[in-house]
Amino acid sequence: MVTADELRKKPQLHYDDVAVGQSMPPLVIGPLTPTHLFRWSSAIENWHRIHYDQSFAIYHDGLPNILGQGSWKQSIMPRYLKDLCLPDGWPWKVSFQHRAMIVPGDTITCWATVTGKREQEGLGYADLEVGMRLQNGIESCPGTATIVLPIRGGRPVPYPFVPPKSA
Amino acid sequence: MAERKSALTDEIRVLIGVTAERVEANLWGIEQEDLRRFTQAIMDPDPRYWDAAFAKTTRFGGIVTPPIYCTYLSRKTPPGADDPITRAFLENPNSDGIGGVERAQTRGSLPPIPTDLKRILNAGNEIELYKYPTLGDRIYSQAKIADVKERVNKDGSPMLIITIETTYTDQNGQLLCILRASTIRR
Repeated sequence: MVTADELRKKPQLHYDDVAVGQSMPPLVIGPLTPTHLFRWSSAIENWHRIHYDQSFAIYHDGLPNILGQGSWKQSIMPRYLKDLCLPDGWPWKVSFQHRAMIVPGDTITCWATVTGKREQEGLGYADLEVGMRLQNGIESCPGTATIVLPIRGGRPVPYPFVPPKSA
Repeated sequence: MAERKSALTDEIRVLIGVTAERVEANLWGIEQEDLRRFTQAIMDPDPRYWDAAFAKTTRFGGIVTPPIYCTYLSRKTPPGADDPITRAFLENPNSDGIGGVERAQTRGSLPPIPTDLKRILNAGNEIELYKYPTLGDRIYSQAKIADVKERVNKDGSPMLIITIETTYTDQNGQLLCILRASTIRR
């Protein structure tokens, strides 16, 4: 897990320092417990019992256990990309599928690999393959993303973000 | 052998592109206490969410929310509303906690997809980010049925992939993010 102090002092990743094939620093979260899942359900008021009622999940829905929420994974992925871009880059786009289930006991590793890079209108765009891998190597959330990084000596990434005209 | 009936009916096709009314997504704007609960639930200790003095020195100029925090606000039950959990379990003691808890049709919601395929699975998401809201911002959302596709399961049964695109803006009309959420109905 990353700490508040690390995020406060995080050095900027520049476009100049990114190469195709490069792996980004991973984010590891877990092991997840039923309490983590329940905290998320409560925070967003998702009362679906398969996320916190083990008897219901197993005996009614035939699941192996209570399940980690897709809505949680949906927030973790952009959070990971946000961390990669801090302090002055921008996590512009991400898309991913929900594949393998997450259950209590699982530890997830968010990962990203650079698949392409290009300069557009003075900004550095890096295309990524992303995912959320379980401790047994199974991919739970495969997808792609595009992040925007400042170029050394170049203009700042605008905030609010303005996409390139050719996008 | 009888020809399989398509699950993607004309009644569904005409709904593609239907856009709901733009509505306010939450009751009191972005609040610090709700933000605390949310950021702890995604285990993100970023001081940009809670340390006002530090956040002021960042490019954001103040406290901001996590990237798609604003997309969860409209799911909450407003105060004074009929308690949806109690109602769901009175109607069905074995409620799954979501079917009967769904809100009645409200402003800003899309028409339901008329299909007998009742099982719902989260298929995937596509997210575009433009700005993080800050404390006190009021959030507005507008949903659209962006696409409905038909696919066939391994056992030959039909399924639908429904993509809902929701655009989130603030009180100034500034674009915050776009979420395209796809669900499988089978």
